[in-house]
Amino acid sequence: MDSNEDNERNASPEAVLEKPPAEEGENSDEKNNYYDFRSFLNIMRNPKTEPIVKYTKSFIRNFVSQKSNWSTTEQEKLITDFKLFIYDKLVTNDAFKDLDAAQIRNAKEGIEKLVMGKLYDKCFSPCLQEYKQNIDATHKQDLVDDVKLRDKILEFKFLGPEHLDILPGLINCKLNSFIQLSAKELAKINQYKSPRDKMVCVLNSCKVLFALLRHNKTLNGGADHFVPLLIFTLLKSDVRHLISNVRYIERFRFPSFLMGENAYYLSTLQGAINFILDIDRDSISILESDEEFEKNYTENQEKVKELRNQDLRSFKNPSSIASPHQTISPSPSEFILKPLDDAASSVLSRLNDFWTSSASPTPSSLESDERSPRDHQEIDETTATALAQQMEHMEHENTLQTLQSMFPDLDPELIQDVCIASKYRVGVCVDSLLEMLD
Amino acid sequence: MLQFKLVLLGDSSVGKSSIVHRFVKDSFDEYRESTIGAAFLSQTIKLSEQYDEQVLKFEIWDTAGQERYKSLAPMYYRNANAALVVYDVTEPGSLPKAKLWVDELKEKVSDDKLIICLVGNKLDLAAEKESSSLVDESEAREFAKDNNLLFHQVSAKTGENVIKVFEEIGEILYLQNKDKIQESKKPAGSNVSLQRPSTNDSQSCCV
Repeated sequence: MDSNEDNERNASPEAVLEKPPAEEGENSDEKNNYYDFRSFLNIMRNPKTEPIVKYTKSFIRNFVSQKSNWSTTEQEKLITDFKLFIYDKLVTNDAFKDLDAAQIRNAKEGIEKLVMGKLYDKCFSPCLQEYKQNIDATHKQDLVDDVKLRDKILEFKFLGPEHLDILPGLINCKLNSFIQLSAKELAKINQYKSPRDKMVCVLNSCKVLFALLRHNKTLNGGADHFVPLLIFTLLKSDVRHLISNVRYIERFRFPSFLMGENAYYLSTLQGAINFILDIDRDSISILESDEEFEKNYTENQEKVKELRNQDLRSFKNPSSIASPHQTISPSPSEFILKPLDDAASSVLSRLNDFWTSSASPTPSSLESDERSPRDHQEIDETTATALAQQMEHMEHENTLQTLQSMFPDLDPELIQDVCIASKYRVGVCVDSLLEMLD
Repeated sequence: MLQFKLVLLGDSSVGKSSIVHRFVKDSFDEYRESTIGAAFLSQTIKLSEQYDEQVLKFEIWDTAGQERYKSLAPMYYRNANAALVVYDVTEPGSLPKAKLWVDELKEKVSDDKLIICLVGNKLDLAAEKESSSLVDESEAREFAKDNNLLFHQVSAKTGENVIKVFEEIGEILYLQNKDKIQESKKPAGSNVSLQRPSTNDSQSCCV
């Protein structure tokens, strides 16, 4: 985004609502996109924000204390209406009204993140299941579809790139490492609570695939090349609750933030998911002799059966429902319920601080911050920060290793420098490294 | 900024993505915003004086042209303002396929304002070929006329006519939305999006 654009937007604060969505895109990239949750929280400490804080708290309190749960449609409407209301208040609030358009947008993002962080357990279908809350039909359907998708992926995991019309020129040793990285980026979707952060995971996953296309000088091929790659990625991935996640973004991301490139890649992901749900013998190209396909299919079915048995066993013990492929330190199911936002910054403890320190006592459901509601034991800020840093470090190491395996021709130290400069944002790192290769 | 969603449809070998890449490249201007991704592109254009030099932005949604991915298309064309249905002028088999896309759009999209443009690509190759092996231009033109479509023959390779396609669509969009545009010019705010919300439709995912 150049400054001209921003000045233009200053003319009308509401214009920000309509801000073109390309900000996280390929071109006007994350690099330039101002997003800083901490700075938002700092502003929120200003006493002038009191009305905003009060409205927000009271909204969350009312939402959470509702005895019977809201239906999904009601949730969606309540939350969108609240955002419309509070965004309106925001632009006239003394603490915010002199900020520039980018900062106002950041504040709106901040509110969304704050609110959805608090309401996540009520809105994200897998959480509702985990806490044995009353679930309405729509949330229930999400969970049913999650399982359906997982089953389909297991059934057709063995498919190769040639079954999906992936451009033959792309089928080389690089393909797998890019696909793996893309799948890994997508899997991070469960580490975040805010719809924006989840959306960024989708975009990053797609960006790795662009990088592959650019690497092979086939960027002009467009969706013909991109869509099969995304479907292939899903088949090789193991993202828990993918459908629940996608629908959560659709429902709870503020509509005018979900346009343009964001909308495109989310729709493509939905299309890819639908394709996999409907996959059958006719929808894939079988190049080998039928017997070969039959053999692979049967072999894979055996493996699936085994996995299902394991599943059944773990189902009786919900704390171990996690997939065996998760590698992050806390037990994975725990992880999904208390995801650390934004590269595991210490924000979670500050958030808690923000809610407790400002004014009146709040009902205990609000005190129970980002952590599991069943665990009321307070973790002090230092511990939380240390934990967050440790996780961040592991995550960085992980990214570095993957990038090194993707770019064996580049000096590892150079890759590390690029990572540091780009704050380990995979999309940006891959872009820069590709430029260096060219 | 006025934003419009344009969807690209057509068989995988007709070069639909190349048309858009050509369009974005040829109308490149460092002061205007554009996005070039693998399958999503955006480009801003400025209309002529006759259309108040209105600036508008196209958000271009590419689709996979392979037969097996046809079922994904509704995900893309819902809420579109315009559609380019592309065929290859040197490939007679590609016109009937384009016609099927037009039929599908007419059937599935209830918005009667949707602008559909039938585009014959690879005009540069047509000169080298026997006219009997080409798509019959008059047939395409007639089909377009009968169905109330815009019609152009272009070359993504040389750039011939490419910008014209987008300008013409832009002009119609301008006329369709003239009232709203002038309304929005009165107050200070000028950032109006006429795009209908596209993804917060709970029916849209995986049903």
